[in-house]
Order: sequence, then C-alpha cells, then structure tokens
Amino acid sequence: MRNRLVPSVYALMAVMTFCASLRAQTPAPSQGAAGVSQTASSKVADLSGDWAPDPSRGGIGQSLSLSDNGGRKRGQEEDIPYQPWALAKTLSEKPSTGPEPNFGETTDPQVLYCEPPGVPHIYLWPIKTKFVQTSEAVYILHELGPYFRIVWLNSKHPEDPDPQWWGHSIGWYENGDTLVVDTIGFNDKTWLDQMGHPHTDKLHLIERYKRLDSASMQLDMTIDDPGAYTKPWNARRNFTLSRTGFLRYQQICSVRENQQFFDNLGKPAVPVPK
Amino acid sequence: MKRNVTSNLFIVISMAVGLLVVSGPVFAHHGVANLYDMSKAVALKGTITKFVWTNPHNQIFFDVTDEKGTVAHWVVATEPPQVMVERGWTKRSLNPGDRVTVYVFAAKNGAPVGNVQKIVLPDGQEMNAGAAPPAATPASR
Repeated sequence: MRNRLVPSVYALMAVMTFCASLRAQTPAPSQGAAGVSQTASSKVADLSGDWAPDPSRGGIGQSLSLSDNGGRKRGQEEDIPYQPWALAKTLSEKPSTGPEPNFGETTDPQVLYCEPPGVPHIYLWPIKTKFVQTSEAVYILHELGPYFRIVWLNSKHPEDPDPQWWGHSIGWYENGDTLVVDTIGFNDKTWLDQMGHPHTDKLHLIERYKRLDSASMQLDMTIDDPGAYTKPWNARRNFTLSRTGFLRYQQICSVRENQQFFDNLGKPAVPVPK
Repeated sequence: MKRNVTSNLFIVISMAVGLLVVSGPVFAHHGVANLYDMSKAVALKGTITKFVWTNPHNQIFFDVTDEKGTVAHWVVATEPPQVMVERGWTKRSLNPGDRVTVYVFAAKNGAPVGNVQKIVLPDGQEMNAGAAPPAATPASR
C-alpha cells in the first residue's frame, strides 16, 4: 500500500510546486469567457475519487460523436457540423484504432509522435483521472503522460493567450454538484478524438463535470470551434470509480515501446502482397 | 500463481466462438486488430516463456508444440498494464513455465500472433483479458 502511494504523492508534490510558480503569472480574478455565465460563489462540487471510463456507459469509445461512439460513421455523423475542410481533413487521417485501425501507418499525432493528446482526446484513453480541488484552482491529473491540467477558479483568460497543447482553463462551480471548465488558447496539433476530428486554435471548449452519485460522474462538453465547425456541438463521457486507485501504473508513451509492440504483434500479421 | 510443468504440449483443441470485441477497448490505441480474426478465439495449449508487463500493451510469449513435435513461438497482447490492474492482473500473473490454455484472436495470415481473450489455468481458473464490469465500490487506499 505504501509503495502504491509514493508515486502519486511525488507527482502531486511536483504538480503543486509547479502550480505555485504559475499562479504568479495568472491574471487576477474576474469574469469568465464571453458568453459563458458563471456562479463564483456556488458550493464546491465533490469530485473526489479515482475516475475511470465507465464500461457500462460507453467506455472509452472511439469518437466524440454522440451518435457514433464506435467511430463507424466517420465523416457522416449527423451531430458533427463539419466545415468542408474539416470533413476532408478527418477523412484523410488514418486512425490507429476503431473500425479500421492502422497502427503501422497511423497519422494520429499522439501515437505517431507521442505528443500530448490534449483535451478532450485524453478522455478516449483507458486511463484514470483525479481531481485535486483547492480554493484557487482545480488540478486535473491524468494517468497518461502522466499529464495534468490547471483550472484557475474565479479567474479570467489572458487577453491574447499563447496557443498551447492544453490551452488556458478557468473554472467555477455550479449547483453544488458541477465543475465548469472553460478553455481557450489551444494549439491546433491535437485530434479531438480517436477518429481524427480536427480543431483549430479558435477552439473554445466548455466541460461540465457533474457527480451523479457516489460512484459515477458525467462529463458534458460543448465543442465550439468556428475555425473547423459551422456551429457548436456536444459530446459526453461517463466515469465510474476505479477498482484499484490512481496511477498504479504510469501510461507513458514511448516511441521505442510502440515500435517494439508493432514489431512483435503487427508486422508478422501484415498480409504478404501477392 | 506459479504452476508446475509436467507434460508435453499440444496444439489446438478446439475453435471456440469468442466474444465479438469490435466494440470493446482492446488495442484501443495501437490497433492491429484489423489484422486478426476477431470473430472467433482459438484455444491453444502451451507453456509461458515470457510475460512482458509494459506499455503500450502487455505481451505474452508462449510455445505450442504439435503432435509432430514442432514448436510454434506465439506472442499475444493484452490491454495496457493500468487496465489489466483494474481486472486483477499483476506482472506476476504469468510466469515462465506456466502451462496454460490461451484463447487467441489470431492473425488472419496464419502468423503466430494475436490478441488474448482469456487464459485458463490447469485448475480451471480463468484469467479474463476482456472488459470488466463496472466497479461496485471505491478503491481501497
């Protein structure tokens, strides 16, 4: 038990130390992003626990599309309002998974280069998530990477944020059971999900983490990217409490380990051209 | 979970209709499943030679010997370690020398590689590599 906790403690200490240094660079508390209402004084939602994708409610899935969790209708989802270039871009990608996986030739930047998946893509990985809630920020920790995000509470975005992998996040609580996270300032290097749906640096992501009961949590998202889609669209992920706890094993992306895996399990199975 | 090895090995006992895992998370991000026949699992009796507990997916190496004494060196994969931990597996769940029956979604081209569905130990105990039911209680800390 003690050994299991040590990595988590070290990771958390590192996060908190790093966050303290970042805090000095963060704007003073004010209002959230334009068009998003917030209630700064709402009761703090209890998001404690080690959260894993809920296999009884969609699991990790492949696509953010509410009508196509498995990714079988890529490019033809009724609920994804593509701009023409975004549709063409999606169809040009080679996912590493889903109905037609192509690990050997994938264009998924996370798998190909071991780049950060970003959000919401990270929620389509079989990894757990943990929330560290303080009065000034919520730290969202992920087993993959392990990466973490900082959600500044009752703060505001910079006027001209630098495009970055995880963007700039502010948040607030609503109704005593929901954490709302408002993020802008993304770069355009990540996929939104496993199916290659693109986004631009105009992406404005709203996440609503709501604890449904003692063992389940729901994440509702609004994807608003006028650079890639004609109107905002919605997605959902569901979580359940983990059996084993957070960060029992570090899901670190290694190009070498990926290559060894494909050499052992993929290459021998590739059909020989006739 | 170490078990004894006492006799020769032999190949395929049966073809078992396996779980259709196309909707499951197996090989969730490093997909080679299109190269495997995911519609049925093949039962192979063999001996573990190596169990690699690693990202992106654990790898199980085992030997299968047919009636003529020819040995086939198989390697099959499970989900990543952090997923298998959730299903009760550890890095010591399999050890060299263990005699097991491995249910495999095997390569379509006949290569001795694939994706493991489950492993059955000599005493009948099953180690399921597929999706687990949702957690009923919080993890103990």
